[in-house]
Amino acid sequence: MLKSFCIRLLLALALGEIAAQSPARASDFRHDVQPILENYCYDCHADGENKGGVAFDKFNPDANPAESRDLWLKALKNLRSGLMPPAKKAQPTDAEKQVILGWIKSDIFGIDPNNPDPGRVTVSRLNREEYRNTVRDLLGVDYDTQAEFPPDDTGNGFDNNGDVLTLSPTLLEKYLNAAQEIVSQVVPVTSKVIAERVISGGELAMDAGTPKKSLSFSYYDSTSVAHPFQIQHPGRYQLVLNISADERYVEDQFDYNQCRFVMAVDGQELFHRDFSREGGQAFHFQFDQQWTSGDHVISFHVEPLAPEREQIRSLNLRINSVTLRGPFDEKYYVTPADYRRFFPKDVPTGAAARRDYAHELLKNFATKAFRRPAEDQDVSRLVKLAEAVYSQPHQTFEAGIAQAMLAVLASPRFLFREETLEPAGAKASAAFVDEYSLASRLSYFLWSSMPDEELFQQAAAGTLRTNLDAQIKRMIADPRSEALTKNFGGQWLQTRDIMIVPIKAGRVLVQDGVSKTDPIAISAVGAEHLSKGFSEADLDTITRLNFQGEADSYFNYIMHQDRDVAEFVDSDYTFLNGRLARFYGLSELAVQGDELRKVTLPADSTRGGVLTMGSVLAVTSNPTRTSPVKRGLFILDNILGIPSPPPPPNIPPLENAVSAVAGHTPTLREALSIHRTQPMCASCHDRLDPPGLALENFNAIGMWRDQDHGQPIETTGQLATGETFHNVRELKQLLATKHRTDFYRCLTEKMLTYALGRGLEYYDVETVDQIVAQLQKNHGRFSVLVAGVIDSAPFQKGRTAIALGENEPPKSSEHFANVK
Amino acid sequence: MKQSHMQSAAQRRASLSRRHFLRGVGACLALPALESFFPWKLVAAENAGGGLALTASGAPLRSAFIFFPNGAIQPNWWPDTPGADFKFNSTLQPLADCRDYVRVLGGLDHLNAIGGVDGGGDHARGNAVFLTGMHIKKSATDLHDGISIDQLMAAKVGRATRFPSLELTCDDARKTGACDAGYSCAYQYNLSWSSPNTPVPAEFNPRSVFERLFGPGEHGQRVQNNQIRQKAQQSVLDFVMDDARDMQKRLTGTDRDKLDQYFTSVREVEARIQRAEQFGPAPDPLIETPDGVPSDQTEYVEIMYELMALAFQTDSTRIATFCLAHDGDNRSFSQIGVLEGHHDLSHHENNPERIAKVAKIDEWYAEKFAGFLKKLQSMKDVDGQSVLHNSMIVYGGGNSDGNRHTHTNLPIVLAGGGGGTLSPASYERFGSLPACNLFLSLADRMGVQGLERFGDSTGRLAKI
Repeated sequence: MLKSFCIRLLLALALGEIAAQSPARASDFRHDVQPILENYCYDCHADGENKGGVAFDKFNPDANPAESRDLWLKALKNLRSGLMPPAKKAQPTDAEKQVILGWIKSDIFGIDPNNPDPGRVTVSRLNREEYRNTVRDLLGVDYDTQAEFPPDDTGNGFDNNGDVLTLSPTLLEKYLNAAQEIVSQVVPVTSKVIAERVISGGELAMDAGTPKKSLSFSYYDSTSVAHPFQIQHPGRYQLVLNISADERYVEDQFDYNQCRFVMAVDGQELFHRDFSREGGQAFHFQFDQQWTSGDHVISFHVEPLAPEREQIRSLNLRINSVTLRGPFDEKYYVTPADYRRFFPKDVPTGAAARRDYAHELLKNFATKAFRRPAEDQDVSRLVKLAEAVYSQPHQTFEAGIAQAMLAVLASPRFLFREETLEPAGAKASAAFVDEYSLASRLSYFLWSSMPDEELFQQAAAGTLRTNLDAQIKRMIADPRSEALTKNFGGQWLQTRDIMIVPIKAGRVLVQDGVSKTDPIAISAVGAEHLSKGFSEADLDTITRLNFQGEADSYFNYIMHQDRDVAEFVDSDYTFLNGRLARFYGLSELAVQGDELRKVTLPADSTRGGVLTMGSVLAVTSNPTRTSPVKRGLFILDNILGIPSPPPPPNIPPLENAVSAVAGHTPTLREALSIHRTQPMCASCHDRLDPPGLALENFNAIGMWRDQDHGQPIETTGQLATGETFHNVRELKQLLATKHRTDFYRCLTEKMLTYALGRGLEYYDVETVDQIVAQLQKNHGRFSVLVAGVIDSAPFQKGRTAIALGENEPPKSSEHFANVK
Repeated sequence: MKQSHMQSAAQRRASLSRRHFLRGVGACLALPALESFFPWKLVAAENAGGGLALTASGAPLRSAFIFFPNGAIQPNWWPDTPGADFKFNSTLQPLADCRDYVRVLGGLDHLNAIGGVDGGGDHARGNAVFLTGMHIKKSATDLHDGISIDQLMAAKVGRATRFPSLELTCDDARKTGACDAGYSCAYQYNLSWSSPNTPVPAEFNPRSVFERLFGPGEHGQRVQNNQIRQKAQQSVLDFVMDDARDMQKRLTGTDRDKLDQYFTSVREVEARIQRAEQFGPAPDPLIETPDGVPSDQTEYVEIMYELMALAFQTDSTRIATFCLAHDGDNRSFSQIGVLEGHHDLSHHENNPERIAKVAKIDEWYAEKFAGFLKKLQSMKDVDGQSVLHNSMIVYGGGNSDGNRHTHTNLPIVLAGGGGGTLSPASYERFGSLPACNLFLSLADRMGVQGLERFGDSTGRLAKI
């Protein structure tokens, strides 16, 4: 009792301090705010009216502001987005709006613009992407976390949210297995091994005069290739042949060709085998050899066995590599390739010296893996673990170190991103995160990976915070920033989904009257589906990859060329290759080849900007048809940041739309307009449908079309904020000009959410506003957005223990992003 | 162009050898001496204290919970007349071969899946409430559900097997972006919850499931590989536990909850290793390890069912959940000529053509389920009965009418014999009772003791 009283007292003191620092109340509710509300809002939200559950006359300005936060957050969002008051009603002046917004921020939210509450980031487990990249940067191993770990749960649209990333026993088991697998892949457990030399497929291909990754033999031709090699020490060797038998898949047609493959060393046949179709199977053949020192030659020969059979599947044998292992005599053993990377010195003799060496090695490794200096006591425990292994008979020192490294990778300090605050005044409610935490915040934001050596050194020297601009620039220029494109861009624009979204391209084409003889059909479903199964065929993988490539290249371009982020919404360019240009009906641009490149679009083009990219158009569609509702929702959620209320819990039964339209199958516009005659549906679908319907000229696979179910497509519509548009070009222009600030704010909220790994709260409103103001001043440049996010209080700081108390201030019951 | 991870996933899926694994399971059934999988002596010793998942004959008793998405077309789902003389309607017709072991349960509800003041989000709720029966907190980040029935059973009676429970799913990839109406995606994808804020993610990769149950590598090497794995695990557990303790001291608030999950996980892994030592080496079925996620949906679902059957047969676990697809799933079913997305179609707006297609999907799911039941029926258990006889399998969804998002009169089937404790085949109509009453009744049979309530239960089901 006494304890909780003290805590409350401390908390009150802490909060009191914040209040004391904040400026005098900007305006008084009764005097300044209420009259404006009476003028513009009371018609629907007072005196017995409470549309949307909002009644302003029920608000008590003398009560604790925390009680009405949700109400005013809703009001702020609706007022700012222009949704309220409705377009057809009288509108407050900008000055009046500012009075209300300022009052909400200062009096209700208690925000001090000079010292905002940085909020709290829950200690975050590495997600699958972060784990994979971190292991890659730490050890040089590419571990396929997509296959091995369960997908991460997401919150607020991103999979790096500390609150939602949970840990189950099964996942911990997977982490343990992964650590074992990763360490055993790269860390050598002995200092001497049998020498091994790999003759790559590329080297062999050079002998055949074809600069390729591997040496290929067609089943249909008689061919020979020889490769000379030298042996230094005479003795026993092992030769391993790595080969695969490939084919190009052709539906329902087989290829009965066969060939004989012969391998010889120094003219002596070592091996022959007859190959027929093997379905891409890989083979490894192993041979023991006695070789003298000096020159040798390995040769391959392929002879067709059924020359009269039809050649359908481009059957070929591919030699991926030949490995020469030996000599087996121990005196010729060599140090393993990666040995010095992990063990820079020879292992000393003597228990104490070994222990010191182990300490040195493990301190370095743990410090990197934990992304902050490992304490000596922790390292000592690791050394003990290593010692317990290497002091056993038949165990090497290296095996002991490997075991301790495994422990590091399974430690919560590796798996979670623990943060520390800089010391702050006894009464301060917020403090800077320390430099190591800052380094990690930067690297996981921009690279989805651990800090590199330079960030780490800057953090160690305590110079990172003062050199942020240069570091951000360097980090964006680094290829690792591709992670921002993939993980932030890929989730914000949902382009990550393009490879998995079920899209029945054949059916879409049939519906739009495109025949399978149309060349476009090949790019839509892939050549193998043209002959059979056309109408069930999925969207072709190459087209999906092109869609993804276009979106990623576009994001990369805006990032690296530091463009105005408004170009995400509208621009006169996109990224195309020959196939995608044809797919989009832009053959006249004469784009050729597979390489995606920036292409300036014709003045009247409907493309340009993310909304008319194949990726966005496809991921917002159903498998066989477009979904104007999903597309409209995409625009509201990801471009405008306009609150879109969720569908009602109990959907009223709808009569079959077909019967309501006489004479023909209804277009989606017609079906949706029937839907909107239900008042319960109309309130939201009036917002959702029009921008979605503006995209109806693009089918579910992103191709242009003029008709839907034989009816001309009508794209005219009105935004919920009142502006009308006639087609997608006008819609994009509206979004990029009149709603530019809304888009800046929407993107800022998304990026801040991603960068922090937490949902935004009411107290973040001011932070977002400040970044948006910077964007407005600086032509919306991408770098200004990134710097704004990184410089912001929530990114730089954390709540101190005194602000957290033992019982943290409760979160607002409704989350920022969910307030509709 | 740089290779994306999605591309590699696509390639991985494409490169699988077809039906390798399915062929193999047949071979495994020919294995003699299934009894040797079962640690009789240990059971006898432990059962002295009671509270184990056993039938009266001393054979293992299993519970499985299988979830299908987007509700079912009601007229096709429900039999016409209640009672023992019921006739299957079209959707459940595939179950006819196992009719003796099937009860169709009408009138069971999940009132906590109804939106009320929380508004939309019926797919998130349909999924997350299905096995918990609890109200879920509407939040994108602040998870709050209840413990799910399978996890409760696992915690109480799961110690009798190598794995307290098994969680499977055929959702191998997730959509990005926000999930249903402001609910975290965690709700929409996870059926199993080990605590109100800890979902238990299910395994999607058949290879991982198999390797976890029986060890990595080829037949003949698995026992040894498993031992190597567990030895490596065990050697670091002490260290990481100390590390976690140190870290816990430095943390506050919700951060501590996260570390608690870590502690719980370490303890559970330790317990698993102990159980492995106690029970001796895991069986090493004479089958090839499945490759990974098959590109073909039918094959994917069948392999997962096979794995669940294998886990039951080898008594690796007695409790399993299987999410065929999360609620709101929009897959198409070209294997039966339905190209439209399932969720898209389920809002059929009473269009007969669309209704027929959804019914076809419902039937496809029922057919796969029937295949699973038949497999269990063909497996002989230690007491001479079939594994199906010694199982209790709930098959159902968290929405009843997918078009309107209703959560009463849920489509639920209870299959298996419960080791002789379940009543003969019938179509029961309970009027309107919590689905949790069923779960409570099953928990009793599983040997869970002293459980007064579960979820929103109001009592036990008198007749199942």
